[in-house]
Order: sequence, then structure tokens, then C-alpha cells
Amino acid sequence: MVVDIRGLVDAKQGTVDPRIYHDEEIYQQELKNVFARCWLFLAHDSQIPNPGDYVTTYMGEDPVLVVRKRDGSVGVFMNQCRHRGMRLCRADAGSAKSFSCSYHGWTYDLSGNLVGVPSEDDAYRNEINKAEWGAVKVPQVDNYRGFIFGTWDPSAPPLLDYIGDFRFYFDAFADRTEAGTELIGGAHRWVFPANWKFAAEQFCSDMYHAPISHASAVLALTPDDQDVDEEVFPMDGTKGRQFSSELGHGTGFFVESGDVLANIVGQKPADWFQGGNPEAIGRLGDARAERMRGAHATLFPNFSFLPGINTLRIWHPKGPNEMEVWAWTLVDKNAPADVREAQRIGTGRTFSVAGLFEQDDGENWSEIQRVLRGHIARRSSFNVQMGLGHEWDDDPDFPGKVNRVYCEMAARGFYKRWADMASGMSWDELMASVRKAVEVSG
Amino acid sequence: MTAQLESSPVTSVDVELQHQIEQFLYLEARFLDERRFEEWLDLFSDDVHYWMPTRTVRYERELDKEFSASNEVAHFDENKRALEERVTRIRSGMAWAEEPPSRTRHMVHNVIIELGDSPSELLVRSNILLYRGRLDRDVDFFVGFREDVLRQSEDADYGWLIARRSIFLDQTLILAKNMSIFL
Repeated sequence: MVVDIRGLVDAKQGTVDPRIYHDEEIYQQELKNVFARCWLFLAHDSQIPNPGDYVTTYMGEDPVLVVRKRDGSVGVFMNQCRHRGMRLCRADAGSAKSFSCSYHGWTYDLSGNLVGVPSEDDAYRNEINKAEWGAVKVPQVDNYRGFIFGTWDPSAPPLLDYIGDFRFYFDAFADRTEAGTELIGGAHRWVFPANWKFAAEQFCSDMYHAPISHASAVLALTPDDQDVDEEVFPMDGTKGRQFSSELGHGTGFFVESGDVLANIVGQKPADWFQGGNPEAIGRLGDARAERMRGAHATLFPNFSFLPGINTLRIWHPKGPNEMEVWAWTLVDKNAPADVREAQRIGTGRTFSVAGLFEQDDGENWSEIQRVLRGHIARRSSFNVQMGLGHEWDDDPDFPGKVNRVYCEMAARGFYKRWADMASGMSWDELMASVRKAVEVSG
Repeated sequence: MTAQLESSPVTSVDVELQHQIEQFLYLEARFLDERRFEEWLDLFSDDVHYWMPTRTVRYERELDKEFSASNEVAHFDENKRALEERVTRIRSGMAWAEEPPSRTRHMVHNVIIELGDSPSELLVRSNILLYRGRLDRDVDFFVGFREDVLRQSEDADYGWLIARRSIFLDQTLILAKNMSIFL
């Protein structure tokens, strides 16, 4: 029986059927129709600077190798030998001239082409056509401002069309200077026993949880002379904005607040991010370079980041009940050394497996997941109605469909896109609905 | 300085010092397991550096890149103030990863002492095994080794202060939903 996935999300009424987080059959549809079709974040340029440098990652549950080729371009192919399916490379990262399978020794070059087969003459009588047996290659790979993305779907729209109206907001993170950005070395990786959508949706749409879930961190990091509620985390939702894209992406941030960013990540990175980098002001303008504070964001489906706090992460699905978080810290290449150092420490101390903020997210998501083992729990829909019907699209500073910062508009957008994709809607239909929404909103 | 160097193929540290340092580390573990975090903080010098690098899976030829470097990201990269903030957080009653509290058992093994850079400092290496139970079913193990610099101090309640701690875990991907604990 195929589940009618589109019926599980009602964006108009603001309800979500909890089976989307738990059901194995839905999960398999999700791997096929979402993760094997969407543009997925793979790696940042700075992770693989030299020819032969590689990282291993996942697209959905499929392991891939991301390799800097000799011509400087990036090759992405299945981290799997075509002979018996063994994982080709078992390191997280490194540098290689070729990839040799540890089972029987089939060897692939930096592009994933099969170049060596042991005993090719004796065992195969020179009858194997190596050109047919290269590693399965990711058909579309693109690089936007140092961020490398790929999709398994040759018919997926170009990356920039896929990012669409979210680009204005992504650029506040990714396009701050001509020199661009780079990752600080090392990564935080850990496991949440919960469905990946809880995390992706929260980063897409949920400022509402912060004052409650992260109350202890806010308290610990707020200087004694500040009022926690009003100066740091305004509870007045008109002091911020949330943006939702028809493409499923979303973000939210304060525009009038105390220096929330400084309290989280430190004064130096906050000052640098909010106006301290003159080139960023020139490129992005005042609204994005100085007034987006404490922002959260998700690029559909599973790439999330916090501009200013400068963590970025992939939520890798590992079955319906588990995900892995792979998180990095981003800095402007032209950031002064003291800003870079303060960012390195401030981001890690707040958003990581041991982070003062992030420790508590794991408690929420894992407990939701455990409750969803119950039959009645799975039958009771979730409320995603905050701010329903109150959006506007003529904000002077922030383009697209926006709302107050405490809102679930972006969650509704995320889940609607997810349901449309997971149910198998074609790219023609998916992109037509986006064009139609843009036309309606003028 | 009480350390006595004697010729031995295995160790040059005398029994009394070995005993004293082991008891100090057991006391520290006890403070943590009994959630006496303020007393635990007092065991650290004001200039402490408490550090746990991240780790990646690497092939043998690149094992030197296994742990993140000091200028790269870390699980913990703390000074005294940052450790105090972590305790403030736990004591707030709203640190949901520790409210209800975890149940921890720190086991310290294989304590090996070497003389440090200065006459009043020791380099102490130990293996650590931390069992954590949380709520009704959560179970986590954190296993690794620690390199401490212990500084002898007349002002310290227990004679020694931890001036540096480096923690090297034997997991790359952390198989826990958080590290709201101390090692």
C-alpha cells in the first residue's frame, strides 16, 4: 500500500500528521523522491583545496566521494565499488591519487572511472569493458560561492533556480566578500535518535523554541547588567522577520534587538558580522549586513546554518528514527585573526554536541521520537498554525513572503514542499507551483 | 616538590606520589559523579585550558591529521570562565539535557606520571571511562585518555590544581545526543 503523502501535510490548515517522522514506508519514499532528487550540500571548497583531496559524505543514505580533480573541478561519485558493492573509501577525509577497493582491488581514478582490475588478462581474459564499470557518478554538481552541491536527478532545475528567492538570504551568509568564506578545520559530528525533519524544520522556522529550550544557555551567557528577555531575546515578534520560500527554504531573524549575537558567539565575531566588514555592507546593503541578528536558516531539505553564529550543518537521515549531524564553522576569508579565533571558540562552545545551546535540542527531538512509538501519539496531528494567514510580501527591506519572527509560516512551506516532493510530483509541477506563487504575490 | 626519581625500567615515580595523584583524580571523579560541580571547579587553576579536539577516521598514512589541531574546532576549548558558565547553565534548572540530571560514573585508570616542564608540575596521563545513564533508557559511554598538567599549590585545598587537561576520545562520530558531561 502506498501512503498518500500529500494528505499528511495540510499547509492551509497548519497541521502535520506525525507519521511523516516515523513510518518506514514514508521514509523509503523520502529517500527516493526527496533525497535522490534535491540539490544537496556536499562540501565546501576549502575542505578540498588541492588535487586529490577528498571528503566522504552522504546523499540521503547513499555514500559519496567528493574529490578535487587535477583540473580543479570537483567530481562526486558513489563511494561504492561496482564489482561487489564494497565501500571504496573508509576514511572521512584525506588525499589520494586513486581509490582502490579493499575487497578485490578494483581501482578508480579521481573522477570515479575504473582504471584498474587485478588479473584483468588472466581472470577476465581482457574481456571486461572498464568504461562501463566506473563508479556511479552524480550527474549534476555545482558550486555556489564555495558551497558545493549535487543532485542525483539529471532533470533537476539548475542550482540557482532551486535556491530561487532564498538566494537573497543565503547570500547574507555565503556572499559577503569577493574572497568568500572558508571552513575552520575539523567538524562536529554526532547522532540524534530522531527524524531529520525535526532539526531541518527548527532551523528553517523556529525562533519560538529559543527562549524556552535554550533558557539555561541564554542565562549563562548573558552579562549580569542585561535584561535577558527584552534586551537579548525580544519576545515582541514584530521585532523580527521570518521568510518562507515556495521552494521549501526558510529563515528567521531579529531586526530590532540587543546584541543577541554577541551574547551567543562573542563580541568580536558579532561586531565583524554586523557591520564590521565594510566589504560585506557594500555587497549586501544595510538590512542584510547589519540588521539580520541571531538568524536561523534551512536550505531545503537538510542543509541548515545560522548566519553570524556561523555554524553550518547537514542533517543526514539514518532511517526514520535517527539522524547524524555534521557541523562546521564558517569564517570570512578576510576576517582578522582575532575574529577568526573568537568565532572558532564561540561557535563550538554554543552549537556542537557539547554546545551550551545545542545540548538541549537533542533532548527535545529524541523525546518526541520516543513518544511517537505510541499508536495514539502517531494518530494525533501536530499544530503548525502560528502566524497562519498573517504574512505580507511588501516589506521594504526583506523581499518575498515574510511574517513576524515568531511564526510557523516557514515550517508550513518546508512541509508542503516536502510532501509535494515525497509524493513524487514532477519537477515541471514543482517549479510551476513556484512560478504561480511568485505571480500571485506580484 | 615531592617527586623522587629512582632508576626503574618502568617508572621513576615513587609510590607515595603515585598514590597521592591517583587519589586526587578519584576525588575529582567523585565530585563530578556527586554533582558537586562548584567543588570540582575549585580543582582547576585560574589559567586552566580544558580541551577536547574532534577526531576523524583517517588512513594510517594520515593519522597525524586524526585529531583537530589547536587552531581548529574542538568539542571543548574552555578557560576557567567558560567552565563556570557550563556549571551556571546546569544549575539553572532549565538545562534540559541535565534536567532531570544524568547519572554518571567516572572511572579513571592507567595513571602514568611524568615530571612536567617546571619543578612544581606533573604530566599525568590517565584513561577515562564515563558511563552515563539518562532518563529511563539512555545509555552512553565516553572512553578515551587524558593528558593533564597538575600543578602543586599550597593554596589549593587538595594540594594540586589541574592547569591543563586534554581529552582524546575514542569515538569520531559521537554516539550520543549531547555531551552535557565533563570528562
